[in-house]
Amino acid sequence: MAAVYCAAQAEALRIVPLDTLTAIYHRASGITHLVGPPVPEILAALGPDGLTLGALIARLGETYDLLDADEAALGARLDELVAAGLVRTA
Amino acid sequence: MSEDGEQRNDIPEREGVSTGRRALMLGAVGASAIVSIRPALASTAVSIVHCQIPVPDAARASGWIAADGSVVPSGTAGAFAPPRQPLKGEAVKQALAGGQLPGVEYERSQAYMKYVRNLHSGTSGFTCFASLQMPRG
Amino acid sequence: MKHVFSVRIGPVGFRVGSDWREPIRQLAALYAGYPQPEDGVPDFTVRLFAQRPWRRVIRPAVMIGGDFMIPDAAPLPLAQGLLAAEMAMNLQMALGQRRYLLLHASAVERDGRVLLMTGESGSGKSTLAALLSQRGWRLMGDEFALIDPITGLAHAFPRLVSLKNAAIAVAEAAMPQARFGPLLKGTPKGAIRHLVPDAAAVAAMDTPGKPALLLFPRFGFTPDIRDVAPGEVFMRLTQASTNYVAMGERGFDALTRLVLGIPAQAIDYPDTGHALAQVEALWNAL
Repeated sequence: MAAVYCAAQAEALRIVPLDTLTAIYHRASGITHLVGPPVPEILAALGPDGLTLGALIARLGETYDLLDADEAALGARLDELVAAGLVRTA
Repeated sequence: MSEDGEQRNDIPEREGVSTGRRALMLGAVGASAIVSIRPALASTAVSIVHCQIPVPDAARASGWIAADGSVVPSGTAGAFAPPRQPLKGEAVKQALAGGQLPGVEYERSQAYMKYVRNLHSGTSGFTCFASLQMPRG
Repeated sequence: MKHVFSVRIGPVGFRVGSDWREPIRQLAALYAGYPQPEDGVPDFTVRLFAQRPWRRVIRPAVMIGGDFMIPDAAPLPLAQGLLAAEMAMNLQMALGQRRYLLLHASAVERDGRVLLMTGESGSGKSTLAALLSQRGWRLMGDEFALIDPITGLAHAFPRLVSLKNAAIAVAEAAMPQARFGPLLKGTPKGAIRHLVPDAAAVAAMDTPGKPALLLFPRFGFTPDIRDVAPGEVFMRLTQASTNYVAMGERGFDALTRLVLGIPAQAIDYPDTGHALAQVEALWNAL
């Protein structure tokens, strides 16, 4: 069964877009992350209920014009998010 | 899939359902999209106060420094007697950039600098050494 | 501690204890006219002490201590005791300040609005702040700008301005009537001389201002002005703040609000004449 990626709860994150970069304060850890696209878009698409990698790419494709729809690339982004503590796998 | 790679920034996510979807790139596998802010504490606070690095640390104060930077019993052949005073942070910073410790001949300076480079957290002088390597904002 | 000096600088009160009389005598002379800590209660204590009792007299070296201390701090010779006191006060702020977000920046105010200048040591932020204070700007500080996380206002912290090496002569020439501390040679950073903030700066130290412009000056380059985008400004300011992480979410809110609220430019300049002109032009264009 494919892993489901869940974003941290909305209350756990303070998200402030700055320019192409977005500042995210993660309340649980007190760590600030500066992130670029497609990270904010991924977090918004995942939500707390989460999606599998395949479902995420499809969901992103509905909302955005994905120029490089590549599961390996998306997987790398998700790995980064998990390492940063902003996404967990269920 | 659109051939047009231009970012169209003004169209918010949930509006414009069929036409005008904003372009989004997932990025390369090896690239990174997240920078986590690390505390600047060690560098800035220590830069405010000039720091020093005892060679060797107080726990091994009677030791000499071998050519590879390790601490050896005093008098060991080929090793160097330690400096009388702790090394000043500014001097170490210049030596890290490729210079030499002032007033110290080449091989002795190399040995001392190898000792410094081997410092780890918990050893006296480590905070100073760590701060010298970070650019001060 | 036989010798004691207390002072309030902006919203922060300090009490300095010293094993030697001379640094206290110098502090009292240079900070004459400054108020005492509010209600007599200091926010931070600084201690200038001898590592061993005999080091008070034999090759006297001043160890820096206080509420907050750093391991590996290098002692300074007694002749540089004033510098040790200033560094010790900086250290208390850097490690202990939690009421205000600290930016390693100089700040000057005009018409209630504040110009912040931040950069590495040698960028010229202290020198430019001193020179601007001669040209209709009120000096708020040269080392730390204090940002109130609730209001977003910048609060003044007018310590002795620390001028280094070539900047000393520049300031002495531009401000012959100003008060200076002793010339300290042979410090780890070269020659240092402290400039006393003028009476207007001291009198207005409790008046905050609204940040309006942020500059990243770089001394010794062909003149150039570049916009700096908010994301990069945010990144650079987290590196320039000693208490950003410790402030938690308040720090995040204060910094994002600051970064989104004011324009930021990098200015490269070959000499202070150019820099001053660049500053006035950018300020007038706001």
